[in-house]
Amino acid sequence: MTKAKVDVPANALSNPKRKKVYIGRLVLPYAMVLPTVLLLAVFTFYPAIDMIINSFYDINVFKGNTFVGFDNYVRLFNHPDFWPAVRNTLIYTLGSVFFLIVLGLIFALWLQRSTFINGIVQRFMFLPHICALLSVAMIFQWLMDDEGLFNFVLSWFNLPGLKWFNSSDTAMISIMIVSIWKGIGYYALILLSAVKSIPTELLEAADLDDSGKLRTFFKISLPMLSPQIFFLLITITINSFKVFDSVRILTNGLCDTNVLVFLIYTLNKTSGQAGVAAAAGTVLLIILMIFTVIYFRVLGKRVHYQ
Amino acid sequence: MAMSKQQVRRLRKARKISGTIIGTIMKVVVCVFFGFPFLWMVATSFKTNAEAIQFPPTLLPVKATIEAYISVFSELNLGRYIGNSLLILVATTVGQFLVMVPAAYAFAKYKFKGNGFFFGLLMVAFMVPTVITYPSVSKMFMEAGMIKTLIPQIVPCLCNAFGIFLLRQNFMQVPEELLESARLDEASELQIITKIMLPMSKATLSNVMMLSVIGTWNSYFWPLVMTYHDEVRPITIAIESMKTLEGGLQWPIIMAGNCILVLPVLLLFLAASKKIIAAMAYRGVK
Amino acid sequence: MGEIVFKNICKSFGETKIIDDLDLTIKDGEFTVLVGPSGCGKTTLLRMIAGIGPATSGELYIDDEEISDVPPGKRGIAMVFQNYAIYPTMTVYGNIEFGLKNKKVPKAERKKLIAEVAETVGLTPYLDRKPSELSGGQRQRVALARAMVKKPKVFLLDEPLSNLDAKLRVSMRTELIELHHKLKTTFVYVTHDQTEAMSMADTIILMDHGEIQQLAPPEVIYNDPNNVFTAQFIGTPPMNIHLMKDGKTQIGYRPEKIQLSREQGQWMYCRRAKIMTREMLGSETLYKLQIKVMDKEVTVMSKSLNMDFAVDDEIYVGVEKEDLYYFDAEGLRIRDASVLTGCYEMTKEGELHD
Repeated sequence: MTKAKVDVPANALSNPKRKKVYIGRLVLPYAMVLPTVLLLAVFTFYPAIDMIINSFYDINVFKGNTFVGFDNYVRLFNHPDFWPAVRNTLIYTLGSVFFLIVLGLIFALWLQRSTFINGIVQRFMFLPHICALLSVAMIFQWLMDDEGLFNFVLSWFNLPGLKWFNSSDTAMISIMIVSIWKGIGYYALILLSAVKSIPTELLEAADLDDSGKLRTFFKISLPMLSPQIFFLLITITINSFKVFDSVRILTNGLCDTNVLVFLIYTLNKTSGQAGVAAAAGTVLLIILMIFTVIYFRVLGKRVHYQ
Repeated sequence: MAMSKQQVRRLRKARKISGTIIGTIMKVVVCVFFGFPFLWMVATSFKTNAEAIQFPPTLLPVKATIEAYISVFSELNLGRYIGNSLLILVATTVGQFLVMVPAAYAFAKYKFKGNGFFFGLLMVAFMVPTVITYPSVSKMFMEAGMIKTLIPQIVPCLCNAFGIFLLRQNFMQVPEELLESARLDEASELQIITKIMLPMSKATLSNVMMLSVIGTWNSYFWPLVMTYHDEVRPITIAIESMKTLEGGLQWPIIMAGNCILVLPVLLLFLAASKKIIAAMAYRGVK
Repeated sequence: MGEIVFKNICKSFGETKIIDDLDLTIKDGEFTVLVGPSGCGKTTLLRMIAGIGPATSGELYIDDEEISDVPPGKRGIAMVFQNYAIYPTMTVYGNIEFGLKNKKVPKAERKKLIAEVAETVGLTPYLDRKPSELSGGQRQRVALARAMVKKPKVFLLDEPLSNLDAKLRVSMRTELIELHHKLKTTFVYVTHDQTEAMSMADTIILMDHGEIQQLAPPEVIYNDPNNVFTAQFIGTPPMNIHLMKDGKTQIGYRPEKIQLSREQGQWMYCRRAKIMTREMLGSETLYKLQIKVMDKEVTVMSKSLNMDFAVDDEIYVGVEKEDLYYFDAEGLRIRDASVLTGCYEMTKEGELHD
């Protein structure tokens, strides 16, 4: 059946008695989405457009803004912190994507049977995900303190203590450990529900065909999971590009852990750098836009196939 | 070389049993791996400062004390920040609900010019990160003289794009005949929403609200960039500032703060872990 | 109280016109059935009356009041939907009460009305149940009760029996007829099932492609169809219709009017036939026959009380004059006496071998 939405008979508006009612009905949907649209306009679109415009101006609170063309972008690309930040962001992203998906898959396959103990394990794994990142980060800061528990455990094995967050060699990896520890439960859960949605007949058929476990995984499960894995890939990538909280809490951007968002944050706080910050923000926005477009393209396709 | 059938069978059985045992042990290890840091947090919070940094460390406090908690509340005045957080939480949750429900209903059930466009805007907005929007927003509130209130932490968060998306999906599944039937029963649109749509979408709605509550309570970045004054800070920012207390890092105090931050979420999780996990899975798979 | 008049009604969905310039009167107090194949516009008409799918143009009256711009709830009508549209989160009582509440009927009266109506449809023991705990038939009754309790001027029913199993459908059919008898209000009933239409209607409105093919009581529609479409839509199996010798005129006869015999009889229409298949229906037997028309094999269905014939038997079939129908090239019924005489001549001429 065709949806009966706001249907107004053609002769309705000519009847003054009912005109009011029908105009009310026409306006109603707009009134209902108005708060949402207003909030979006004021707190998302205006600020984003403002930032893009600012990226072409030299922002000066006292002297006023002057148009400088692409100067801010040139300054950004020549900024001593920019390329390291890009590099660190990429390292963080690649590491997160790889470990979250591989570990997530391993956990998902390992815990796929709905048993009591698997439910318990799943809950434990999930716990960090819903807790504040702040708490998780601070706990690990304490565990990975120079005199923290981790170094004490290392000393049992006669290993030297690590500097963890305080050394360029280990800081980024340490941040990634924290992020992965916090996030793995969630991604394992998503993959777990994908694994569970594989028809068991398919796996049974493979069993009857005497296919080995690994073979079954690579030839049957993995292809079936590939759409889900792809979406996680994009989601994790987008989230990794936005990483800020853990860097800010754990290292404050020191020890080779400066990332794009953190750079934008510091540039915004530095006087005279607002234009450059806006340029960096625009770059980030473009990167995210590309990933989002890919995401929705493929999403559209997948919906289409079903 | 050749084993008898019985031997083969016994071997298989032994392998299976040992596999189960090893698997179970590994599962326990995983539980410890994810649970221990929280235990460590709780344990530290009940230690004295001296015991916390003593080497070798103690697993459980030798002499449990609630000193840390006392100083968190008395000296550091955490109660006030918790109050701020709760105010923000309630206002945000109620506000999100009031914004979300009519929007989702209009998107799902009305045909009007701009339906697709506005919904598209919502999806685009989804992509714009807060690091991009916060400078203008904070400037706006500063100019409006509201930066010393909780409003900057509430109003910009009222549009729950994902919630609107999920609720719209759910509303779309309500058969059109039900609405028509209700209109024949002289129900107003408001009644249709409150008496038919919402009761039928209870599960989704509670999922969305629960995630939003957890997210608001835990939020860190937005309050970080929206608060310039101590009196409007929420619990997360207050706890973070405990790192800069005089006399160096006092882990028991920091951990006591974090215990308080984690506790409500933990209780919620214990009470409704199945529901929360399902909500998260639903959100991820959508 | 309850006469519905359509005047110059048009309805289009986007570019496609569903109904073009339709005039129709649905009589007060009658059980009117709108029947036709899917997509014929019958549900569209019903939704127009309800006000949930207004006409694109034209006027619609209930009891001489123009109601095109009266909102659905204020039209004094009640509707039973195909899938019942029962509010799943309310109890049976809540479902029936919902409309009354919105009408601001006082609580005590609501209670009385609901008790009455529940008694009538036999729902009294189930008032506290949720719809999910009810069977299909019970849900159907809830939908009916919800409509009845409003005491409407017009009942609209949109294929209300199509979700029930065959047995229940037949018994609900009888109950609906009884209900109409008791209430004596206008019933407008939409279905695609001609048996339902025939068994329940006072008046059948047969529609196709947004146009009314015939509006008449069931016996008229069966015995005196206006055109090929009506002739073939009503009756199972449908009327046999094939071309005659002149290549324009079509002759028709109902399967149940064909007489079968081993010997040639004195019928106006008489053909030799071969039995292709034979289906026992119980009291009757359904034969699929093959006859020759102008060197072409034509399949004809026959429903007969005679079960003596076997597959491959060669027999004679015949139809009496009063059971023969003639249609012109456009498919319209030929009623003109002089033209009919010609047709009869042609039928006799064609005897046995055309």
